[in-house]
Amino acid sequence: MTIVIKRNKWEIWRDVIFALFAREIRTGFNDKFGLSWAVLNPVAFIFILSFLRGRLDGGETHTIPTFTFMAIGILFIQSFIQTLGKSARTIKQNKPLYAFRQVQPLSAVIAGGFFQILIKAFVIIGIIIIMYFLGIDLQISDPLLFISCYFLLILLAMGIGLVFGIAELFVQEFSKIREMMTRPLFFISGVFFSLQDIPKEYWHYLNWNPILHAIELTRYSVYSTYGHQGVSVGYLAWCVLIFTFLSLALYHTLWKQAISQ
Amino acid sequence: MININDVTKYYPSKLGKQYIFKNLSFEIPNGHNIGILGSNGAGKSTLFRLLSGSEYPNNGSIITDLSLSWPVALTTGIHPLMTGRENTRFIGKINGVADLDAYEERVKMFAELGNKYNLPVKSYSSGMKPRLAFACSIAIDFDVYLIDEVTSVGDAKFRRKAKEALLERSETANVIMVSHEMDEIRQFCDSAIVLHKGELTFYNDLEQGIEQYQAL
Repeated sequence: MTIVIKRNKWEIWRDVIFALFAREIRTGFNDKFGLSWAVLNPVAFIFILSFLRGRLDGGETHTIPTFTFMAIGILFIQSFIQTLGKSARTIKQNKPLYAFRQVQPLSAVIAGGFFQILIKAFVIIGIIIIMYFLGIDLQISDPLLFISCYFLLILLAMGIGLVFGIAELFVQEFSKIREMMTRPLFFISGVFFSLQDIPKEYWHYLNWNPILHAIELTRYSVYSTYGHQGVSVGYLAWCVLIFTFLSLALYHTLWKQAISQ
Repeated sequence: MININDVTKYYPSKLGKQYIFKNLSFEIPNGHNIGILGSNGAGKSTLFRLLSGSEYPNNGSIITDLSLSWPVALTTGIHPLMTGRENTRFIGKINGVADLDAYEERVKMFAELGNKYNLPVKSYSSGMKPRLAFACSIAIDFDVYLIDEVTSVGDAKFRRKAKEALLERSETANVIMVSHEMDEIRQFCDSAIVLHKGELTFYNDLEQGIEQYQAL
């Protein structure tokens, strides 16, 4: 006899998210490279861009090594764009699983978020190893700020991805809008520059963007000499809180209709 | 008992909302093996998906304290890149099976996949996948099994086995099934629900229900 445990709501969520997470690891990258490609690809990308840029400008940007400066920017923007895309896509991909009443689109998004964090943790380790061999100074002055910025960024990406994922179940063409919207983010989020490079009177064109705040604050968390001009944790946290709230509210009202299409 | 409270369900279409159920209230009684009868397009499958929780009504609610299976032998949840064993484990974990290892073995025994159980599902023949799906659901003890056309599962031998397992199970649990084969319904069910123009009628006696259905 197979005994089924009576679980409360939270235990069901936990089990479902764990099962989806394991399934993601198993099937997320199914070619010969497997999971390692998900780590090697961004590490190589970050290495090449940061290394070249470091060579071009003599190695320092606003008191921090250019390699570190660039690596943080690219790591963060990549994490954001990939988590956003993943969250939106996973809702549709897992549609067959909603036949099990325990599985909800939100659990798929959360499992996808954990998966992204896991992969990016390995990417960070890869970059640290490269930095060690390049002889770049490894230091971090405020690890807690680093971690908070990263989690806030992932949360923001998941929230926006959730909205798009639900919208795409109703109207598929939203995926095209999503792709179009994420493209410029690479250039306006301070990946290649710092807010300090820009004259103050133009800041308002850029500093509405919470991703820029996250990236600049993270640079500051690594080297406190970098400063945190024009950005604040408060703004970032409020943005994330509001987006998360709105996306959850929208999700709560729409998800049943969305999967019943 | 399954309570259907004031359920409205429609599908949007170019011609406006296509209503399947409008303010439907109904009580599906306990302790019966029920066949759902209805002509094509009457909403049998929709009712079925609403009961199993794969879809939700636009309005109203369906409440029960019984554990209902997902549609038995539904293969859509099985991932082609994972092995039979991994798929089984996934389904077991989601449904809260206490002893996953024992469950794995039980499914393996029932599905008769042999060594292929440890190979990705995409390498299975077309009959093997439904067999795995069927085994996954029958190996969990639900109060009610929702069955959509059992006869489509596997070859004659496996079908017989599936029927026997279901018959055995229907002594302690109940089934709710949809089928166009009256023989099959007669074999499993003792009462019927006839679905006509968005209304449900329960017949305690199966034959009476079939008569009504055929007179429609």
